[in-house]
Amino acid sequence: MTQRPYWLAAAVIVWGGIVLLKAAELPQFDQYAHVGPGFLPSAVGVGLMVLGLMLALQIRRGVRFEEQGAEDINDNHAISYKALGLAAAACALPMLTMPSLGFTLTCTGCFVLIAAAFKSRRHISDALIGLAFSGLCWWLFGKLGVQLGAFVPLLGV
Amino acid sequence: MDPITGLMNGFSVALQPQNLMWAFLGTFMGTAIGVLPGIGPALTIALLLPVTVYIEPTAAFIMFAGIFYGAMYGGSTTSILLNTPGESGAMMTALEGNQMARKGRGAAALCTAALGSFVAGTIGTLGLTFLAPPIAELAFIFKPQDYFALMLLAFLSVSVVMGTSKVRGFIALFIGLSLGLVGIDKASGLQRLTFGVPDLMDGVEMTVVLVSLFAIGETLYVASRFGLHRPNLNPLAGGIWMTRDDWKRSWKPWLRGTLFGFPIGALPAGGAEIPTFLSYTVERKLSKHPEEFGHGAIEGVAGPEAANNAAAAGVLVPLLTLGLPTSATAAILLAAFQNYGLQPGPMLFINSGELVWGLIASLYVGNLMLLILNLPLAGLWVRLLFIPRPWLYAGILTFSLVGIWGVSNSWVDLAMMFAVGCLGYVMRVYDFPIAPVLIGLILGPMAEVQLRRALSIGQGDPMVLVSTPLSVVLMIVAALIVIVPAALHWRRTRKIRFDDAAGGGAAGR
Repeated sequence: MTQRPYWLAAAVIVWGGIVLLKAAELPQFDQYAHVGPGFLPSAVGVGLMVLGLMLALQIRRGVRFEEQGAEDINDNHAISYKALGLAAAACALPMLTMPSLGFTLTCTGCFVLIAAAFKSRRHISDALIGLAFSGLCWWLFGKLGVQLGAFVPLLGV
Repeated sequence: MDPITGLMNGFSVALQPQNLMWAFLGTFMGTAIGVLPGIGPALTIALLLPVTVYIEPTAAFIMFAGIFYGAMYGGSTTSILLNTPGESGAMMTALEGNQMARKGRGAAALCTAALGSFVAGTIGTLGLTFLAPPIAELAFIFKPQDYFALMLLAFLSVSVVMGTSKVRGFIALFIGLSLGLVGIDKASGLQRLTFGVPDLMDGVEMTVVLVSLFAIGETLYVASRFGLHRPNLNPLAGGIWMTRDDWKRSWKPWLRGTLFGFPIGALPAGGAEIPTFLSYTVERKLSKHPEEFGHGAIEGVAGPEAANNAAAAGVLVPLLTLGLPTSATAAILLAAFQNYGLQPGPMLFINSGELVWGLIASLYVGNLMLLILNLPLAGLWVRLLFIPRPWLYAGILTFSLVGIWGVSNSWVDLAMMFAVGCLGYVMRVYDFPIAPVLIGLILGPMAEVQLRRALSIGQGDPMVLVSTPLSVVLMIVAALIVIVPAALHWRRTRKIRFDDAAGGGAAGR
């Protein structure tokens, strides 16, 4: 981790700028409520940009960023980018497969990827457990009335 | 309806077999998630929101209340037996409780924690019972400008109190506010920040943001820094239950803890951390055995546990009476009310009396259930911690997908899950508080409505915002919350610089 994460401040400023630009397309004031649809987005956009600048100043002064604590993390906060990548892949996978392969198979894939990120080597048994678990969720929540789509939409099942 | 009649009616609702079943389910799930890492009450309720569309509101809120209270109990069990506080309010309990357990007094620690939680929960609920109706009455005279000032106060206090840095707290709040703006503007019908995506016209789904920030962010964070501390289970065998001396040393801390927890919990951004910490400090000062603190003093378990549970009851006061959420869990409860088309606030007590009083009565019932569930079964609950982590976190992601995909089967929500999940990861790495995002997301649009109402009543004159005594007071308090810490900080840093200069500037960076 870099000591001076200026990109954080830049990201806040950019997001504030986007909000402000989009707000500028809207009327700022109106006749009846006086506060138009664009007024608060403009205020929020300006606020974000100012806060981003303040964060950049703090970073320049060398403010410290201490990682938050959590359970199940190692004592020296050592990062495994491989595990992070696997977990991120698991979270991105639904965007690719959910509409075509459906809930159960997508979740099975996520299950294996997350298990691998947590250093499980038994991929086959992870896949079987994941399939059983997500199948159970699909059936149970379906019964409870949550719409989770067809079992495998691609096959029309 | 006066509180006594209301409560009696409430019990007639809460004691119906079906509602007892929901309360049991809620307390059971609550205890389980209190024990497990990675999931808290806010997340669980968010994941259950899609299910509740098919359950009647009273039943759903009885279950949610059980989850809310249950998570506090579960947290204390793991703190004492394993030194792993499942949620932040249980941190202080872990200090003394685990030491007690190591000395073979685990049973007594569990006992005082459970009884203290029961006493505090019951007193807190009594407070809620008798305080909520008058506050709700009071809220009738609230004008839009008062509500706006109150929300401004909530925004500022949440951003200043939570987390370590005010700038980062405010950035979190403003990110939440900006997400809350997405969608069709209710007053003008114009699209805001939708970037032409039809799925965003209804606004950003609270469930999606909450689940992504908590579950996905946490999973990414823990996966990247995974290191399992094999839990050392302190044996309960041979434990001595509370002795006469333990009782004598426990009952006062229970009551004092309640006194801290309930009012602070009811304040915006009060939360459970501050009262538990206060209670611990005070018990240490007042104790006749200060030397035992740090080595397993029973007062250090009794007081903070009571404060923790009383705070949970306190959080419900502004939520039910004013519709003002003061914590992440309260924000999601507010979203749940909105899902049913209900608006917490004074009208709730009139229009949905059965629901509110049923909910309050079920808190008494739930407390009793939790005492029974937790005292004899503590050893069993702890076994939950031995679930292999790969499966636990994979299961959490599966549940998250149920919650997110189940909302509206929208691909945009899945993309949002990934993006907001990454945001949650970054926020954890660089220590941004998470609750302000949710408060901004849910309170932002409400504050805008009140602002518009106030201004149209005042015909556009901004002075209308400080035209009532209450709004003036609230605005001043809000300003002080920001100015006082900033001024103190400025004075402190100026003094340090001055000292540096006097010392020859040797300490230059």
